[in-house]
Parts: sequence; C-alpha cells; structure tokens
Amino acid sequence: MKCSQIRKMISPFVDGELGPDENKVFTSHLAGCPTCRKELEETESVHSLFTSTERLEAPLGFATRVMACIEEREQVSSSFWGFFTHQPVFLRAVEVAFALVIFMIGAISGNMLVVDRISVRQSTVQESFSLDLFQAAPPGSVGGIFGSLAEVPNER
Amino acid sequence: MHSKGGDHPAFGRLVLRYQDRIYNLCRYMLRDAEEAQDAAQDVFFKAYGSLKDYNPESSFYTWLYRIAVNTCLDYGKKSRPKPFEDECAIDSLACGQPSPERLYQSKETGRLIEAALQKLPKKLRAAIVLKEIEGFSYEEIAGVLGTSVGTVKSRISRAREELRRLLKKV
Repeated sequence: MKCSQIRKMISPFVDGELGPDENKVFTSHLAGCPTCRKELEETESVHSLFTSTERLEAPLGFATRVMACIEEREQVSSSFWGFFTHQPVFLRAVEVAFALVIFMIGAISGNMLVVDRISVRQSTVQESFSLDLFQAAPPGSVGGIFGSLAEVPNER
Repeated sequence: MHSKGGDHPAFGRLVLRYQDRIYNLCRYMLRDAEEAQDAAQDVFFKAYGSLKDYNPESSFYTWLYRIAVNTCLDYGKKSRPKPFEDECAIDSLACGQPSPERLYQSKETGRLIEAALQKLPKKLRAAIVLKEIEGFSYEEIAGVLGTSVGTVKSRISRAREELRRLLKKV
C-alpha cells in the first residue's frame, strides 16, 4: 500500500478505529517504512498531549441559574405582553401590519361618513334658512314690511 | 422522558447531570470562560425549548451534544476574536516562554493545547475536541456533527496535522 493511503490510516489507528484487516496492512507497512513510522510517532505525541488537559466543571450555581432563567422566561411568555414580545419578529411585524390595515380602513370609512354627514347637515341648514320654504308673509305684518324693505329694486 | 412538556424538576436533573460535560465542551470550543458559560446556558435553554422535538429512540446524549456544538459554532461567528493571552506561547519564542522543564508540566501543556485549538478551523476543532476531550467514537462524532464517519476521520487527521505544525513552533 502507498504511503499516502497509510497516512490516512494513522489517526484511526491511534484512536483504535481500524478493523483487524486494516490493522494488519497498516502495521506491516510501518515495519518497512521509517517515514510513516515517524508520522505515527508525531501523531501519537499530539494525542498524548491531550491527556494533560483539564476536565473542567461548570461554575458553581450553574444549574440553578439555568432553571431560574427558564422559569422566568415561561412566566413572561404566559403574560399578555409576553405573548406579543415572545413571538418571532416576522409574526409581530405581520400583526402590526394587519392592525395598521384595519386602522386605515376604519379611518377612511369613518372619514367618508363624516363628509357625507357634513354635506347633509349643510344642505339641511341651508334649506332651513331658505325663504322658499316659508309662505310669503302677509303684507301688513312685520315680516311683510321687512320683506318689502329687503326687496331689491329691480325685482319689483 | 419525564422532562418533556415543561417538567422543571426533571429538566433540572438533566442539567445537573450534563452541565460539566457541556461546559467542558464549550470551554474548549470557545475563547474564554465567560463566553463558554453563556454558550453552555444557551445550550440548555435551546434543549428545553426543543424537548418536544426530541425523538426518544435516539441517544439524548448525542442530541444534546449536537445542540452544544452548533451553539458553539454560532458563537464563533458572532463574537469578535479577542486576544488570547496564551497565543504568544504558540506564536513567538520572545513572549517569556516557560523553560523546557515547565513546558512538561501538565498545566502549561493544557494551556498550550487550548491556545492551539483556538487556531484550528471550527469544524476541525469540533471534531478533535469531541474525540480527544470528550472521548467519543468516530460514529458518535458523526452523529453529533451530522456527517459521515469518513468525514470525521478526515477532520480528525487534518486537525492533528495542524496541531503538530502549531506545537512544533514551541
């Protein structure tokens, strides 16, 4: 077997991950190849350095803090405001957009009703002041005298 | 699993059982203790939130480690590289390097390994940490990383070659 193929087997050999047949091929190649033996020694030395690494422990109170945070998040998300703020951003954006659309529809339709009401009111007011609605005042009455005074000369 | 669906005491027991291993993994994957602690907490928050998706037929261990590795890889993307005080141990002989006798003390060696690990590409780092620090088999590593055994073999080989190159400078 070529050295390039054997080099790929070095790490699995160090880790005990070679099958029995592969092991046989590997060890017999190494017996006659000082280059590959050197590669193996260097890989084994790197591997052995890891035996010097510390096994680290989680800081004191870690589990308590994790559980406290989880409980706090659950309480917030079950509240009204938390229902909103704990949703994904895009969902919140959709809800806001939907609310704006409803508001705009309401504003526009409300505006149309107000305009109609104003024009109706104006026309009603105008009609109510129109003298055509009233019968002509009798000549001898106060209204009749006023009316005659208010007449435009050309209209006579 | 009792911890599914919001059973806090059960999940608390899981946290206690796995906190050291997850913190250990995060510590060797990331730059410093504070970041490792944040990442380790995030791992358990994500695990709690995803419990409903956990398939009890597969190993909980593998599932939790998968969350941990992915969290650490994401942290690596988010955080700006900070100067690591032991980088000079790898990069330069002029940085007050300890004497040859001290180099063989395990604490110094451990710090050298930590510094060298930070110089590896994240995917190689994940594979070698799971192998050398956590003691996983190739198949277990493939399950955690969501890749093939062949890819795991290749990443571990390349990681060791790179570490040899880095540690030769010392």
